Amino acid sequence: MNKISNPPVPGIGLTAKYPEIGTGPVDTAIYHDPAIFAKEMEAIFKRSWYMIGRVEQVQKPGDFFTYELPSFRQAILVCRDRDGTVNAFHNVCTHRGNLVEHRASGHCNGLFTCRFHGWSFDLRGRLAGMRDEEGFFGADKSRLGLKKIPMDIWEGFIFVSPVDEPYQTLTEFLGEQGVDTAGYPWGACTQSYQFETEIGCNWKLAVDSPSEVYHIPVLHPNSAAPTMTASGNPHGRLLGVELKGPHRTNSHYSVLAEPKPVQKLAYVHAQAAQNVVQQDLEYEFPKGINPTRSPWWTVDLITFFPALSFTLSAHMYTAHQVWPLAANRCLYQQRVFVRPAQNAAQRFGQENTMVEFRDVVMEDLSTLERIQRALDTGQIKQFHYHDHELALRHQHKAVTDILALYDREQAG
Amino acid sequence: MQNLPAGFETLEKFADGWVLPDAVARMTRRQGSSIEEIRGFYDAMLPQGEAALAYLRQYPLGALPPEGERLLKLMLALAEIAPAVEWYNGPQVTDGFPVQRIHYLRQIPDNIAQA
Repeated sequence: MNKISNPPVPGIGLTAKYPEIGTGPVDTAIYHDPAIFAKEMEAIFKRSWYMIGRVEQVQKPGDFFTYELPSFRQAILVCRDRDGTVNAFHNVCTHRGNLVEHRASGHCNGLFTCRFHGWSFDLRGRLAGMRDEEGFFGADKSRLGLKKIPMDIWEGFIFVSPVDEPYQTLTEFLGEQGVDTAGYPWGACTQSYQFETEIGCNWKLAVDSPSEVYHIPVLHPNSAAPTMTASGNPHGRLLGVELKGPHRTNSHYSVLAEPKPVQKLAYVHAQAAQNVVQQDLEYEFPKGINPTRSPWWTVDLITFFPALSFTLSAHMYTAHQVWPLAANRCLYQQRVFVRPAQNAAQRFGQENTMVEFRDVVMEDLSTLERIQRALDTGQIKQFHYHDHELALRHQHKAVTDILALYDREQAG
Repeated sequence: MQNLPAGFETLEKFADGWVLPDAVARMTRRQGSSIEEIRGFYDAMLPQGEAALAYLRQYPLGALPPEGERLLKLMLALAEIAPAVEWYNGPQVTDGFPVQRIHYLRQIPDNIAQA
């Protein structure tokens, strides 16, 4: 929230900055056609990288966590070895394919032991023990280590690729957006909540959900609207949209509104950091955070195409991930990252932040299965996007451009 | 028996029902309560909110005495139910996605030191 009075109302004209995007209605087929979905899996999703956690989850040698990539059903084991290196493996025993580590997270004394027949693997994935080895016909242990999954780290976030030969490096995948947002204190928010839900809608609808704020005054009248539409911005217009290849950033406008009583306790007395711009930051915004440098900025929505977005403010952020499951089904995950509580009062601020985000997301998600029904039954063939729904128009163009390129590739 | 720190006697009657193990239990409690019951808790807690936070500010997480931990958990329950009173006038998000369909994979522990 900002106390500056009479801020200018953001204008119309965001889309005009990107003439190649167009202004007409768009075809909705990519939101429901199963054949298009199948092609998206090949042309987009198998060629992407996926954030599966943070380095803080494996702080000490021997720390590990496991994860199942929802769209690909691949089980992954991440651990830190004695040299301090983070390793990621397919969590698949090379004997018969059982999970090597079945727990969600923990600390390992140096060996992961499969609970099926007892084969064990060290922190670098090497096969350390093959029970009753004599009976294995001289099998070469050095070739039976855990299979590595392509993994790389950006700003403390652990990313993996679901294919053995990634289409591009993580750095290439993150592109200019990754360069411009590096340097934000991502690692300072060491505490996190994570929740997920399956939604009966196309993955793009779930990505769209926070990507436009035209809906703010109507869908979020009591929650998000009071700060985002105050002081002469009744339609909740954005400060700006930046398009960078397939990636994009929305910058959100916000001004001081009177917080509700419990919000006030959290913001003023417990360091809750959502919607609060701190005047004296201990760091400088990198170029890609608050790119307009507006004094009325509060939040950026930083999207890495296809389906990872961060709702980011000066002292906290959330990560939204959407995992495609079918043309009309996806898994939505949200992580809320906050700074460590210096005292027990600040623990209240953390909980307030999580609850506010979760309830606002419940407002957002309410529309998605209804829209999908209209799409699946052919009741809406075109979407008409407002100037400040530019992010959705951009996503539509990014998807259709990639699919067209893929068609040309396949045609040889 | 005294469940809460001195000065918070008016909240004693809520300790049984609103001191809960974690965020998921608090969410479930809110969903299963009437707005009248929630509002009763909210109305009792709110006037004590600043004093409760001033008390809690004296302790790092993990170092609270048992009665202080119970006060913290009441405040965390207040965070959970606040939108029911301040935004929705009902336990559920108005016309919202059913919160029962979400699954928590990770929570911040209520009272463990953070770094």
